[in-house]
Amino acid sequence: MTMELLEMARLPFMQRALAAGVAIGLILPFLGVFVTLRRMSFFGDGIAHATMAGVAIGLIAGVSPFITALAVGVLFGAGVYLLERRTSISTDALIGVLFTGGLALGIVLISQRRGYQPELMSFLFGSILSISALDLGIILGFSAVIVTVLVLLLRQLTLLALDKESARLYGVRAEPLDFFFYELLCVTIVLGVKLLGIILVSALLIIPPTIAKLLSPSFKALIGVSVLAGELFIILGLLLSYLLDLPAGPSIILVGVAVFLLVAARHMAFRGL
Amino acid sequence: MRAEGVWVAFEPGNWVLEDVSFSVPQGSIAAVIGPNGSGKTTLLKVLLGFVAPQRGRVRVLGGTPRQARRDVAYVPQRFTFDKSFPITVMEFLRFSHPECPKEKIVRYVSHLGMGAMLDSKLGSLSGGQLQRVLIERAMLGDPKVLFLDEPASGIDIGGEQTFYELVMHLHKEHGSTVIMVSHELDVVANYSNLVLCLNRTLVCQGRPEQALSPETLRELYGKDAALYHHRDR
Repeated sequence: MTMELLEMARLPFMQRALAAGVAIGLILPFLGVFVTLRRMSFFGDGIAHATMAGVAIGLIAGVSPFITALAVGVLFGAGVYLLERRTSISTDALIGVLFTGGLALGIVLISQRRGYQPELMSFLFGSILSISALDLGIILGFSAVIVTVLVLLLRQLTLLALDKESARLYGVRAEPLDFFFYELLCVTIVLGVKLLGIILVSALLIIPPTIAKLLSPSFKALIGVSVLAGELFIILGLLLSYLLDLPAGPSIILVGVAVFLLVAARHMAFRGL
Repeated sequence: MRAEGVWVAFEPGNWVLEDVSFSVPQGSIAAVIGPNGSGKTTLLKVLLGFVAPQRGRVRVLGGTPRQARRDVAYVPQRFTFDKSFPITVMEFLRFSHPECPKEKIVRYVSHLGMGAMLDSKLGSLSGGQLQRVLIERAMLGDPKVLFLDEPASGIDIGGEQTFYELVMHLHKEHGSTVIMVSHELDVVANYSNLVLCLNRTLVCQGRPEQALSPETLRELYGKDAALYHHRDR
């Protein structure tokens, strides 16, 4: 077992997977704290699915689908933000329209290409084990910026999530910050898509803060436990995937779901249910 | 504080406030009363700079409402947040006032009898306790103007009286101007020294004993409206 683990740690693709995983395991659960506080779980799912259009555009144009998916994610965030404020349509309905639109456009575009599309499959289900050095550089660079921004804006984002109106009286520029939060979320989700896939990425945004909510006595602890849980899922999931020859993305999420079930069971037992 | 010919509509032609003008001297306790849908909360939002009037002008502490934000505080009618979120009272107050020393927060909170609650989760507090925390948050910045939007709704009768006594105590201690929206006419009669009666337009303004006349109350609330005083007050 120890030999196997040492062997795993020596593999360059595993090193890249671990480095990218640790970075994503930090930013997705951190941002997820605000997403769950603002009850925006569907937003994460929506962005992930809409990026299908970006992936397809990249594949057809012959440029990195990662870059085009990032561009579509940013446009999606701006679209939801603008339509939310300029129309009386509810946010979940808007996301529903845009996310199915993006997904449908992606499928139509992809259908124009013949043969098996490995890139498409990797974006659908994630490809943490096939992260290139360039992808890793992009993920680490963006993650460093995102975590710095989150730490610097922690106070403002918390007040905004608690009550937008009164946050303005405490020096929060609510509208620009809201827009920035949407865009930050879109970029983070797209970074996660590369690792976990369109279908599973929002799990790493939602499961860690949900578990942390059940365990934390304070907001500071909530962020800490959420990030620790995210990192634990990534590392354990990768280990299981290597040792048992399972797909990496789903293994990471299954570890998260298992931990969630254990914590939820303990919580219910504690409450006498 | 001064409002001059303020008009507000959220849909074209459907005016929520029509030509509202008044002034509130510094150090007053002004109550805004009126039936549901009379524009009370909208007026408060105009004074806070959250809503821009289509016509008219508002001055707060000699500047625009936005310029005055540093010196005003606000206790909303409802502070709706995810109660399952584990943010403590201390964290909430420190996030709101990062420049405020921890000792000052502890002193204020203890002074209001909430010292034991500092490490409690905000979501675990009762309605009355939460309103106290919101008042503490408002007062920590030593505001020159305190806006209260039906702050005692959701608190039981005993808690309501304690709440207003607390507001009056803080008003005397800090000399802040208080602008409160209220449905409780007895509260208005007992605690305010200026009443603004609103029903989209300003129906009356003046001292409570002048403004809360049977005629004004009938105009605001209908023909059966009257003010009854409790004997034990």
